[in-house]
Amino acid sequence: MTKLRIKKGYNIRIAGLPADEIIVGNAPSHISIQPSTFKSIKPKLLVKEGDSIQLGAPLFFNKNNPKIKWASPGSGTIKSIQFGPRRVIDNIIIELDHVEEKLVGQSFDFESIQSLGAKVVIDRIIDGNLFPMIRQRPFNKIPDPERLPDAIFISGFNTAPLTVNLELALSERLDSFQAGIDALSQLTKGKTYFSLPGESVLSHMNNCEINHISGPHPAGNVGIQIHHISPLKPGKIIWTIDAQHVATIGDLFLTGSYNPELIVTVAGPIVDSPTHIKSRMGSSINSLIYNKLKDGQSRVISGDVLMGVQSSSDGFIGFYDSTITVIPESDEREFLGWLKPGSSQTRYTLTNAFLNNGNQPFSFDSSLNGGIRALVPIDAWENVLPMDIMPIALFRSIIAKDIEEMEQLGIIECDPEDFALCSFACPSKIELSAIIQSGLDMVEAEG
Amino acid sequence: MKALRNLMDKMAPVFEEGGALEKLYPLWEAVDVGIYNTNKKTGQAPHIRDSVDIKRVMILVVFALLPLYMFGAINIGVQSSIAQNITRTWNENFLVGFNLIIPIFLVTFITGGFWEVLFASVRKHDVNEGFFVTGFLIPLIVPASIPLWQVAIATSFGVVIGKEIFGGTGYNIFNPALTARAFIFFAYPGAISGDKVWVSGVDGYSGATGLSIPAAVEGGNAKQLLDSFSQFDFSWWNMFIGWIPGSIGETSKILILLSAGFLIFTKVASWRIMIGGVLGLVATAWLTNGLASYSDNTMLSLPAEYHLVMGGFLFGIVFMATDPVSASQTNKGRWIYGILIGVMTIIIRSINPAYPEGTMLAILFLNAFSPLIDYYVIKGNIKKRMARYAK
Repeated sequence: MTKLRIKKGYNIRIAGLPADEIIVGNAPSHISIQPSTFKSIKPKLLVKEGDSIQLGAPLFFNKNNPKIKWASPGSGTIKSIQFGPRRVIDNIIIELDHVEEKLVGQSFDFESIQSLGAKVVIDRIIDGNLFPMIRQRPFNKIPDPERLPDAIFISGFNTAPLTVNLELALSERLDSFQAGIDALSQLTKGKTYFSLPGESVLSHMNNCEINHISGPHPAGNVGIQIHHISPLKPGKIIWTIDAQHVATIGDLFLTGSYNPELIVTVAGPIVDSPTHIKSRMGSSINSLIYNKLKDGQSRVISGDVLMGVQSSSDGFIGFYDSTITVIPESDEREFLGWLKPGSSQTRYTLTNAFLNNGNQPFSFDSSLNGGIRALVPIDAWENVLPMDIMPIALFRSIIAKDIEEMEQLGIIECDPEDFALCSFACPSKIELSAIIQSGLDMVEAEG
Repeated sequence: MKALRNLMDKMAPVFEEGGALEKLYPLWEAVDVGIYNTNKKTGQAPHIRDSVDIKRVMILVVFALLPLYMFGAINIGVQSSIAQNITRTWNENFLVGFNLIIPIFLVTFITGGFWEVLFASVRKHDVNEGFFVTGFLIPLIVPASIPLWQVAIATSFGVVIGKEIFGGTGYNIFNPALTARAFIFFAYPGAISGDKVWVSGVDGYSGATGLSIPAAVEGGNAKQLLDSFSQFDFSWWNMFIGWIPGSIGETSKILILLSAGFLIFTKVASWRIMIGGVLGLVATAWLTNGLASYSDNTMLSLPAEYHLVMGGFLFGIVFMATDPVSASQTNKGRWIYGILIGVMTIIIRSINPAYPEGTMLAILFLNAFSPLIDYYVIKGNIKKRMARYAK
């Protein structure tokens, strides 16, 4: 076991922290899956509007790798298929029939799972149409199932603002979670790493190496954990999977079918009694935030405030998301605001020094809080990036489209989510996280 | 305040695209966001942003400079009253200085502001806050007796050649305020090279500056020369407190140290550069002290603690060398950059016979070298990574 203390980073004190309890949410009438959110795949539909579909049956597959299919997160009828520009499939909406007719495949005893062998495990996950839950680093995309990983990383805690408390979410699914680890750990000749902030109910998992990692966000990001424990290098492939999805895969092996259960946080400054909600994959956001929004203009985000995607109350929760954040949209313009060294706003560069306002959470809104300027390097990025990466040099190489230098500076070890705090803290309001993504896209296209 | 906002919202279309004064949009934008915080919103993740922006960073530096303005104003009055052998109250001293500083300040801001708005209008970008700090720095590094036309020309040179031709704030190679100072230094050396004191209010008054005293004597002991100098009190304590003639803002070392603490505390300036600079200066001074007995160069015998409180070194290392854009931008690089500024300052002060003060030239010299320093620091990082990749 490795014990790691991450020093750099920052926990944003945003208001609307979810309570540490799980309530059962309203059952959604509609659920959805959004093919356009998956990077570097070519989705091809297997269903059409009006078809009826079983829970776990395939909705579409990847034309580039036809083995990889996406499971329907519920049973019912295909209500509509929405297309975006250039016939991109944006959204497949399913109207639930609440019968929950399941596609059932082979199941295994709890004990026998740990000796199935890589081939059986991977085929079962692919047949269960749940392979897209696995993502690879570098590039944070759905991996090629033929190329087994050099290691597997599972993060046992979230540090991003207002995200799910995984200890709470998994405490009732420990057997499924263990079965998931047992299955996944056979996919690699290397180790399966599981990171936790300290001792907890999750500390007694077998068939994985448990590491204790403490510190502020982004310590819970799997990219930071990989960087410190088993760093990427060219040719090395690491698979990662969200802890709740590990339990879903465990259920697939134990019961032979897809259990779409998902614990979701609904939180943010303008959410009434923010909390954890027992919901399901692809749930409609409306069923989650119903009657929970305070008055005023709001922005609904599927995912956390740092990496989520703007949605709306008519939208659906994203495939890899387990947080719905709602923040105020504000048009208010403060008079001579820049002259005040101590307004009620928490500001990163100063919070660590003075004008701390205690530990009062702050109602962040969607304001950029400044104009876009050229880079003035006062270490705002470096102070929140716990990686041995030079962000300014990397930023310049991406702007210059110098792929060779990007690779030398370690771009394949980077992921936009690890740089989201840099965008947050940047006084010049540079979108570093998005720029890192564009650099990764260039490197990936180059091959 | 609602009425003002409404009035400004009504005026806005005149400056926006298609309006009568659309060419002046950058000026309008600067005024608009100067009075009210911007209403720009996040367009992509992260959806929330810290409330620090370049304006707030710059205003913190200005806060750190304000005590130096106060002290500078009083000190101008004090020095001129000593020269004229009259007694004044604190208020009177302050007013003497205040009346001299305000015109310099206004000329700096009008000239610099003109260039900023002109370049922003031509390039069609927002007016940058960078000049705000430059404008506050320039009056502090010139003597109160400077002719205003020199201020205007120097500011123009500093802003245009030092910054705008490279693309504006964030792209400049040299610190614009120091570039302005260097311009006066070389263009009008008689007035500002640093071997004669500047005391305003008295015609034809002259005396030696602290640094030029040991520089002018061969084979003496610098500390004794300073202590026995009668025209001004050049004792260590008095130079530390700052009641000596000099440029407006650089004399009070204790206030500069307090401001440095504020800048480090708010994480605006790099402590690595400041500490590195002091270390470089002290170490090199010890070295020259050791060599002093082999030479008749009196400057070599000036102790390190005197070097620290004399001339513009502390002001330079705290406010000029730490300009984040023209300094080194890697942490290892900042140490090297700071240390070399300290070393170069002593070399110019002690070994170069032409200039008694070397801080400004040392900083400009290292400004030019900071990209090279960073280049090797980044190469080091790459080399380490490549070694790991090859394993």
